[in-house]
Amino acid sequence: MKRRRTGASVAAGLSGIPIAFCLLVGLGVLSGIAAAAALDFTAEEKRRILRHGPWPPASRPDPSNRVSGQPAAITFGRALFFDPRLSISGAVSCATCHSPDRAWTDGLARSRGHRTVDRNAPSLFNLRFNRWFGWDGAQDSLWAQNLRPLLDAREMGVGPDGAARLVRSDRRLSCGYRRAFGEAPGADDARIFVDLGKALAAFLEIQVTGRTPFDDFRDALARDDAAGRTRYPAAAVRGLRLFVGRGNCFFCHFGPAFTNGEFADAGVPHFVEPGRVDPGRHGGIRKLRKSPYTLLGRFNDDAERSTAAKTRYVDLRQSNFGEFRVPGLRNVALTAPYMHAGSLATLADVAHHYSTIDEERLHAGGERILRRLDLSAGEQADLVAFLETLTEKEPLHEPVRKTGTALCP
Amino acid sequence: MARRRLRGPALAATLALVLAAGQAAACDRPQGWTGGARIAGKLWTAWWRSEPAPIPVGAHFSIRFHLCGPPVGRVRVRGWMPDHRHGMNYRPAVTLNGLSGTAEGLLFHMPGRWQLILDVRGAAGREKLIAETVPE
Repeated sequence: MKRRRTGASVAAGLSGIPIAFCLLVGLGVLSGIAAAAALDFTAEEKRRILRHGPWPPASRPDPSNRVSGQPAAITFGRALFFDPRLSISGAVSCATCHSPDRAWTDGLARSRGHRTVDRNAPSLFNLRFNRWFGWDGAQDSLWAQNLRPLLDAREMGVGPDGAARLVRSDRRLSCGYRRAFGEAPGADDARIFVDLGKALAAFLEIQVTGRTPFDDFRDALARDDAAGRTRYPAAAVRGLRLFVGRGNCFFCHFGPAFTNGEFADAGVPHFVEPGRVDPGRHGGIRKLRKSPYTLLGRFNDDAERSTAAKTRYVDLRQSNFGEFRVPGLRNVALTAPYMHAGSLATLADVAHHYSTIDEERLHAGGERILRRLDLSAGEQADLVAFLETLTEKEPLHEPVRKTGTALCP
Repeated sequence: MARRRLRGPALAATLALVLAAGQAAACDRPQGWTGGARIAGKLWTAWWRSEPAPIPVGAHFSIRFHLCGPPVGRVRVRGWMPDHRHGMNYRPAVTLNGLSGTAEGLLFHMPGRWQLILDVRGAAGREKLIAETVPE
């Protein structure tokens, strides 16, 4: 009759084997089991995780921009991006607030051109996948978004006439314009101005982030590759489970770019200064409806207006007050500080914010998406560990991603 | 005298509405349709289908619908996410041709369970026809 081995007898049976070695092996087995359990997603969790890829997604040229995807326009747009003469002072360029060395941001909470503005300069990664542009979505195309700082005296403020005058008078820029648009800059200031926005858009469209550890994990999950999945850190797995589960992050940060492209009140203060509120999306829709630079206007190069449904049907509601665009999360570890006015310095602060959010301060109008999560310190760290895996291991910043085409001799 | 003259047409109209309402339950799939879904109400029954189908998350879509029942004055179409208690960020435009119509400009911006609501009004009354759907 066999006797079941007790702990003591097991220990006795292992006599001669160093105890420390046994402990290490045991711990290794236990952590392996934990990792395997962590990878045992429910069917719904797996479905939600797979919706965040594959990356990069397919893309096509923007039909509202006749030079989208064209190398000469990309080269011209790059030259414009770094040219401070597109500001009234001659001292501020797009790169002042969107530095390629800082993941296309400036690292400031609220950015500064000629003067400090109300909002944070967002990164310029993956803009080609956006539905709306700007924190308030006041622009419905990337080319229109590029015109906004050129019109705002706090930022660059050169305006249509100043920009057109510069392009007509400068031999190099004039040549770049001709190569990009197939004709010399004419007498129509407004048209040249919008074309500059379109060349800038062509340049910014190519700033697409590369693959990340999350993408490798997600693709391994899709093909049931157990070995590929286990390379993903256990803390990130736990954070991912929170992201698509109890955290409810998934509803807004949805899809391959980790944004649903719309707007939300994230419960951060939207007072710009005492007595002055940033209206967010509500102000953005009102600006959009007054703007001559929309997809419904004469500057859209697409006669079919095939991408203009959003502009035609967007609804203005009281609940839009205090809503800001849901940003994509790719390369998020590189783009601090966070939120529309840079009010949260680190990803840990963001996790803490959503964990302790004051539901009374939300202008949610009865919505029930954001809830105080009450995450433990460990869970917050897990969420951060997951977010960090959305960042490229070796980000390829401009100028690596430039076309290599010379502007003009 | 005047009241007596009105009684006949009013009765006829009421009878027509009752008969039409009775037809709401028996509502066949519109000719030429493949697919689509049916929503049965007390006054009206609707057949609807989306373009594209299935409904995508985060992309604009339109619907075509056909109603059975009494004459319709106006139809509003909207989306509602009951678990989150919010609607769409877009206001669709409805074109109505008799008992058939289209709604353009819908967008379900979150994954999960949505309700597609046809808010139908006519002389017979008002009714909300609600379809449950999960965009893909």
